[in-house]
Amino acid sequence: MLNMSNLMLLFVLPFVASFVTFMIPNKLRKPLKVLATVFSLLPLCILLYGQSSWIGSSVQYAWLPTLSIEFYLRVDALSLLFLYLVSVVIPMSILAVRSEDLKTPSVFYGLVLFLQGLLIGFFTTRDLAFFTFFWEAMLLPLYFIINIWGGPKRQTASLKFLIYMIAGSALMVVAVLSLYFESGSMGSAPTFNLDALDQFSNAIPHAPWLCGIFLLAFAVKTPLFPFHAWLPDAYCQAPTSGTILLSGILSKAGIYGILRIGMELFPTLMLEWSPWLLGFAIAGVFYGGLAAWVQKDFKRLIAYSSFSHVNFILVGLFVMDQTAHAGGILQALNHGITITALFLVAGWLEQRIASTAIGPLSGLAKYFPQLCWLTLFFVLSSVALPGTNNFIGELLIFFGLFGHNPWITALLGLSIILSVMYMLRWMQKMYFNAPSAPQTSWEDIKAKQLLIALPLVALVLWLGIYPTTVLNEIKPAVEKIVAVTKLEQL
Amino acid sequence: MDTTLTFVDFAALSPLLILLTGALIVLLFESFSEVLSKKCSFYITLATLIAALHAAFYAPVSVNPLLTPWMRFDALAHVFSVFFLAIGLASTLLAAAFFKRFEEAFELTAGEYYFLLLSALFGLILIGSAADFLTIFLGLETLSLALYVLCGYVKKWKISHESAIKYFLMGAVAAAFLLYGFALIYGALGTTRLDLLLEGYQSLTYGSSRALFFGGIALVTLGLAFKAAIVPFHTWAPDVYDGAPTPVTAFMAVGTKAGAFAAFVIIFLVSLPEFDLFWNEAMAFLAILTLIYANYVAMRQVQLRRFFAYSGISHAGFLLIPLAVGTAEAIPALLFYLVVYAFATFGCFAVLAFLDNRAEGVLLSDLRGLFRRSPLYAGVLSFCLLTLAGIPPSVGFFAKFYLFKLAFQAEYYTLVVVALLTTILAAYYYLRIMAIMFSEAPEEEVEVMLTPTWPAAVVGLFSCAAIVVLSVYPTPLVEMLAEMVGI
Repeated sequence: MLNMSNLMLLFVLPFVASFVTFMIPNKLRKPLKVLATVFSLLPLCILLYGQSSWIGSSVQYAWLPTLSIEFYLRVDALSLLFLYLVSVVIPMSILAVRSEDLKTPSVFYGLVLFLQGLLIGFFTTRDLAFFTFFWEAMLLPLYFIINIWGGPKRQTASLKFLIYMIAGSALMVVAVLSLYFESGSMGSAPTFNLDALDQFSNAIPHAPWLCGIFLLAFAVKTPLFPFHAWLPDAYCQAPTSGTILLSGILSKAGIYGILRIGMELFPTLMLEWSPWLLGFAIAGVFYGGLAAWVQKDFKRLIAYSSFSHVNFILVGLFVMDQTAHAGGILQALNHGITITALFLVAGWLEQRIASTAIGPLSGLAKYFPQLCWLTLFFVLSSVALPGTNNFIGELLIFFGLFGHNPWITALLGLSIILSVMYMLRWMQKMYFNAPSAPQTSWEDIKAKQLLIALPLVALVLWLGIYPTTVLNEIKPAVEKIVAVTKLEQL
Repeated sequence: MDTTLTFVDFAALSPLLILLTGALIVLLFESFSEVLSKKCSFYITLATLIAALHAAFYAPVSVNPLLTPWMRFDALAHVFSVFFLAIGLASTLLAAAFFKRFEEAFELTAGEYYFLLLSALFGLILIGSAADFLTIFLGLETLSLALYVLCGYVKKWKISHESAIKYFLMGAVAAAFLLYGFALIYGALGTTRLDLLLEGYQSLTYGSSRALFFGGIALVTLGLAFKAAIVPFHTWAPDVYDGAPTPVTAFMAVGTKAGAFAAFVIIFLVSLPEFDLFWNEAMAFLAILTLIYANYVAMRQVQLRRFFAYSGISHAGFLLIPLAVGTAEAIPALLFYLVVYAFATFGCFAVLAFLDNRAEGVLLSDLRGLFRRSPLYAGVLSFCLLTLAGIPPSVGFFAKFYLFKLAFQAEYYTLVVVALLTTILAAYYYLRIMAIMFSEAPEEEVEVMLTPTWPAAVVGLFSCAAIVVLSVYPTPLVEMLAEMVGI
């Protein structure tokens, strides 16, 4: 039922939407936001319409024959999960802004929609040159979003963000070219096509270098400990929707890169390096947790907690185990949803109290009861309370890790306690201590905000209570990864 | 041998002839009626360029033995002619915007300016279609002489005097080197014809004539490297770019650079492909030097004309990569990069034309809050800067990718790595300019007004549109360029 034009439609539509949004005058604030939201929801509708027939659909054109670059998109199980995540998080990031606060809203919405198009391209492309292209291109909209609509130190934060990213992936072009020419030296015509490159995955010369270059790029973007120096500033200076995009999607691009390039092209090396990578990731989990604990600013706190959780996902990926991989991929989705929700509610709180400091104000539950309960719900999801989405993902990771090393599992278990400590400490101080004096301008969230948060609540509960559907989707992706790895071990 | 010139021969030469006629008409108007010249010279120039462009598109191939020893009429010459005329068109439009603002204040006369610009273009086209060292030299000198005057065109600007004198002195020395190099090569081979170079070189047996030949090659390289502003022969560029009026800077940044690289292509890639690996390695070395130095120094510039001098030098470093590669496949890559660079640079200068209001040109601080004042101009400028920085989704990325791929294929790994690492610096300084545009406008009302002038707007919007089209679908251009050299 689904032909290749649907995938093409999915890819092209956000760009067209972005262009249309750019063209609309800024004066029409309200209609602009409605339009942008509708546009951003279109990919989700297309995805849902296609349902099960997405996997395997592809688009392939010769794009630059002189350079043997193909425009080649293909959806597999892994891509599809990330596509769903993109199509959920992008509308949320648009809904997270208040259009009356926004200068030049058409540019903002245009950039977000443009980013959506680039991300859809990134998560489906099977051509290494385009992979690099999308990988770098997705930085720009975010740079502009931080730079134009960010906090007081947005200039330095955005520049630091971009320079870190570019520096991290500067050498990726070398690795890509080297793979290209090496594929040529192995009998066939040189190619950027990942399908063809997969065939050589166990015979790539200089593989440690190439894999190292790719991993560096992915590690900076995700970020894996200790490549996270850009993170606190960028997360805090970005506007709420920018932070949602950074934490919800950008980090997933790094994870997708590790799965797509790392696991597919360099399975042996990933296996060989897994103790080291695991060490970094575990260090990141604790570093992020401890750093979150000492923050006096809740946006920074959530930023570090996100960092900690992302490293937890990486633990799942770096344990070469099928269950842990399933947990890692599921957790990537869960983290995307939960962190989006957390930054969303934190953004609403910031709008109301015009500050992100923890301490000066307390007992806000009295004034914002609904916001408080909503926040508490997402906080509990973030600390992996049973019945919420994160519980399943973390459990699977622990399960997988336990089979390899029970001691590390026990150690990592402490991180759960750590996350409960810093998260609930924030809730305690902000919402539950003795109430501070109210201000007249304070008002609780309304039905509209609740309605925005409702899909996220539903997703958290759905993935927490009945994850089987998603796990079934993840299964083929995981089997593919481990099959490759197993093959190497023989 | 029939050497009578027929209609076909004239038609083949028509771009040059049209330029010459147009230039003379402009000069005549200027001599006889200053009032009329003020009104018409821009339009005459525009009409001349459009006619020449049209002629260049449809120019037939001449096989007249009177012309062919001196000029080539092949696809490459064709592409160069069209490219240079397009550059001329953009420069003319930018110059018109400049004159609208400064004509009264500094008693400028537009007629001479356009005459010189057309002469410079004449020189460029000669270089692009040269078949002999002498034609190249003639072209380069026609170009340079016109530019010496153009640099000091605003006589009341002190800053321009330095620029013109410096350019003249340094340019004269470079021309001497170049000519001496040609002479040495002639001494070794007994010919100045480009198509006999490779053959002549391969039949050189005596050590002494080889030494003569290599001495000549070294001097020619040096002379052209000087014109192209390649480190360490770049020292004139920042001061000259800085002191010249903004449209002249734009023309130099694109036109002169393109001219010098056209000469490089014609001599070293077309006539002497891979004649000696040492030359290619020297080019790779110069590229590394240029990339590191120019990118490092560009980070600290505050005056935008000067900034574009360094940015131009760093792009010359990128353009050296295909020269180091040295195969015929490198020609389309070089041309593609040049085209992208030309569009992006003209786009930037078109926006600067709106802000340009004094002898010092546009300073970085003038760009403060440009995004708030005019999102459109800020958007155009950002897009062009991103293209120059080679950050996707702009076509700049693929232009660089193309070069890197060739260099990788030719196993210049160090060069690729250095070039990629310098793109981090490049990203930093181009983005710094953007950051200033997106910052808050200063408290006091900015003096620099954004008065709309249509010629600059045309250049800006056209460049931007061209970059967008190339970013989405560069295939036809790349294929066309690749087909041209027959691969």
